[in-house]
Amino acid sequence: MQVREINPEGVTEADVVIGIPSYNEAANIAFPTLKANEGLIRYFGKRRSVIINCDNNSDDDTPNVFLATATDVPKICLLTEPGVRGKGNNLRNLFRKALELGARSVAVVDADLKSITPQWIKHLAEPLDNDFGFVTPLYVRHKYDGTITNSIAYPLTRCLYGRRVRQPIGGDFGFSGNMAEIFNLANHWSPYVGNFGIDIWMTTLAMNHSIPICQSFMGRPRIHKPKAAEHTSGALFREVVGAVFEMMIPYAPFWKRIRHSRPTSIYGFGLGESEMPPPVNVNQAALYDRMAEGFKTCLDLWREIFSDDVYGQILDARSASLDRFDFPIRTWVRVLFETAVAFKKSPAQDRDRLLEALAPLYYGKTLSFVRKTERMTIQQTEEFIENECVVFEENKPYLVERWPL
Amino acid sequence: MPKKILIVDDEEHIRFLYSEELAEEGYQVITAESGFRLLERIEEEKPDLVVLDIKMVDFNGLDILQDIRNKYYDLPVILCTAYDTFKEDMKSIAADHYVIKSFDLTELKSRIAQALDSGLTE
Repeated sequence: MQVREINPEGVTEADVVIGIPSYNEAANIAFPTLKANEGLIRYFGKRRSVIINCDNNSDDDTPNVFLATATDVPKICLLTEPGVRGKGNNLRNLFRKALELGARSVAVVDADLKSITPQWIKHLAEPLDNDFGFVTPLYVRHKYDGTITNSIAYPLTRCLYGRRVRQPIGGDFGFSGNMAEIFNLANHWSPYVGNFGIDIWMTTLAMNHSIPICQSFMGRPRIHKPKAAEHTSGALFREVVGAVFEMMIPYAPFWKRIRHSRPTSIYGFGLGESEMPPPVNVNQAALYDRMAEGFKTCLDLWREIFSDDVYGQILDARSASLDRFDFPIRTWVRVLFETAVAFKKSPAQDRDRLLEALAPLYYGKTLSFVRKTERMTIQQTEEFIENECVVFEENKPYLVERWPL
Repeated sequence: MPKKILIVDDEEHIRFLYSEELAEEGYQVITAESGFRLLERIEEEKPDLVVLDIKMVDFNGLDILQDIRNKYYDLPVILCTAYDTFKEDMKSIAADHYVIKSFDLTELKSRIAQALDSGLTE
């Protein structure tokens, strides 16, 4: 893959690297760049460091805005070749560059972050000095922010790989130089991973290489360009879930042996009271409509993918009106498991169709989640999610029995 | 070799009850009445699991949990509490399990067995 590099200060070595992947973030990238600079100066002042913007050839001049942002720490810009898009493709350039620079610690933060503080840099990179190889963020999130995380990424990776990592697709990460090498050498790459599937790909690789993982408390909520649950983009859903299902295939010998999950270390408490996240409003009628749309377009495929039992439960869910709607967690778990099995059996070109057919059911599950938790506090909702995770783990034998050899 | 369990609780009758019942299950049980020098105790005794009271007179069990996790990130810890309000503190997610204190130890025994299990099929 061709990469264009802009390295105005000729940086050839660095101990600490901060990566900021972007595409058309000219209006936003200066803020995380300044906070990264402050964090590096304040907490890693004695080390050689660099801030790297990995960009997809933005049309809006993002790289120039980045390079023009006044920082004490030197900056590098890496551009994918024209026409190549995706966060994963940006980070792939970062892995290679981090190795080339001899970095010991790398932290990645998104370009559209509004709430990043210098402490985030400390908390993502400092655990890497204490034998941890991979750091995921831990934020207080609104109960309806991160519905793909809550319904799929967290419970499914926890159930599969036996590690409780609450934000496996948090967007902000830390990893060691050794981990960058594992990422760089990994055989498995795909269009899902090249795009939004990269976060779950990194977390899954760390889990499967038995890398010590810690969750680092960020103190402030993650505030970025928000999207309500009913506006989850099809591409985001397809790429994240596609990457989860894809990674299940090579790592089946590992996850099939795991019966239950264990907690993951925590880093960074003592920041005082955590700030409450901003509200996320959900349009229940829109979620219901998006689910109902699936009954017009996906019934034949559902009939093909799902067992009679699960198919019947889906039809039952549809028969309820919005004000009585329920999508039982056991049904959702089996929907995911059976879709994962169908994904494994399908040729690559048919897999997007499966993911598109899963999306309406995800909207139904999200609607059910919203209805059941609407009177709950964030903490009560966390507990609700934990109980759903237990259902995933209890039903895992169902997946193991059906997984094709 | 029996698995070694460290009970940390400032109430003597709880330490006694847990010790008796868990010993009957075949575990080797050791106890501590506070969090004082607990990390040193763990270093010396190398328990396979810790059962930790959250609310002790001089110690906050969640702070102790954090100290344990910083040094022994694979050591299973089960939190015991009279109330479940501790879950409002995010530190609690670093525990393997939690149980509500009761004289019926069925739940605790089940959680201990699960936490000591390798999590892998044979």
